[in-house]
Amino acid sequence: MLRVALVIFIVLMVQQTVIVALRIGGVHPDLLWLLPITAALLDGPETGAIVGFWAGLTFDLVLPTPFGLSALVGCVLGYAVGSLTKAADPRATWLKPVAALAGSLAADMLFAVLGAILGQSQMVQIDFLALFLVVGISSVVLVLPVSRLMRWALAGEGHRRSLVSAQAESGIW
Amino acid sequence: MPRSRRSRRTLTVIILIVLSLSLISLDQNTRTHSLTSGVKSVANDVYAPLRQGVLDVISPIGNFFAGAFNYGSVQAQNERLERTIGQLRAAQLEQGFEQNQLREITALQNLPFLQSLPTVTAQTQDEYSSNFTATITLDKGRADGVDVGYPVVGAGGLVGKVIQSFHHTSIVQLITDGQSKVDVTFGNGNQFLGIVDGQGPSSSMTADLVPPHTPLHKGDRMYTSGLNAASFPPGIPVATVRTFHTSAGASQETIEVDPAANLSQLAYVDVVQWVPST
Repeated sequence: MLRVALVIFIVLMVQQTVIVALRIGGVHPDLLWLLPITAALLDGPETGAIVGFWAGLTFDLVLPTPFGLSALVGCVLGYAVGSLTKAADPRATWLKPVAALAGSLAADMLFAVLGAILGQSQMVQIDFLALFLVVGISSVVLVLPVSRLMRWALAGEGHRRSLVSAQAESGIW
Repeated sequence: MPRSRRSRRTLTVIILIVLSLSLISLDQNTRTHSLTSGVKSVANDVYAPLRQGVLDVISPIGNFFAGAFNYGSVQAQNERLERTIGQLRAAQLEQGFEQNQLREITALQNLPFLQSLPTVTAQTQDEYSSNFTATITLDKGRADGVDVGYPVVGAGGLVGKVIQSFHHTSIVQLITDGQSKVDVTFGNGNQFLGIVDGQGPSSSMTADLVPPHTPLHKGDRMYTSGLNAASFPPGIPVATVRTFHTSAGASQETIEVDPAANLSQLAYVDVVQWVPST
């Protein structure tokens, strides 16, 4: 648990100091969703949901959006990614980028819609094309380092990486 | 997969979802909002110095590269700033007399004038931390006299208002945020009224509820009206008219406006210690 908490903290700090400054068209990349996505790919839907919940809750503490919303979306995202990729070959090179792209966009969409339902109507008034382009492309690029961090974190917890074969583990990422 | 493991997995996810929904409910309920706000306040007090520490470490590296790549533009910007400072000094001397007159008139009419209101100068720590809101984080909070609802002004005019205040930090909703609405007055003698609506961080602001064919000019200034238990004291520049037209049969004029304040330069802002009169 300590390693996972440390990884969440590192990602939060990187997001809030470096990533927020990389704004393109008023939008910056979003590392938060990559945490449940990579956890789910490495250790299944339950771990994905747990990591998504705690990562979301940590980000909720410093974001101006409704408290608990990131935790809810992170939890659902982790579970969904883990369940949907269960049957996929974990060694497939396309798996991480596709999961990062589809997962991040779906999470942003869900986040905006739920926020609007909670009275934050401005959350659906943003430029979704710019959001999808920036978050989608950056997630595909950044999923690899985040996955490496998450692999280290989960290995420290003694998790059985059921979705990652020994062959895949010996690879670069 | 064994049935028991699948059941446990489902139960874990259900518990986490229920927990998230409970936290959202606590945050949304006005009676229990103080609980989540208190937790966020404590977290921000811990997080803000850590974040600043990280920034202090990485900023010199970033500044080195930015300086190396942008030396020419920085020099040109410096010259422009020096010229602007000279113009402002001259204007300040001219305005001294007029400001005294205005202060006397507003005092006579018992109206608050921004320059007579106490302010707290704050440094911006963080901008647009979420893609879904137009907010900035300031390095001043409740302990420094910054409370929820206080207007925030910057160079040129209104920047926004404080929506969350923690012990030593606060969050300001910018006037470009989709939730922002500011009652404004404009025209000769300020005889027209309207509402400046934020449309999100990457979209133009609009001025709404302005009757069709209201006489306007490009560059016209709109000021806070201070009417109807407004959220802001009167007379703060809010926006300037960029485009306007009245469509056939429309019930209001379509007006696009730009913020009067330079929202791309918010290193320092003033929080006005002003609360609406109820």
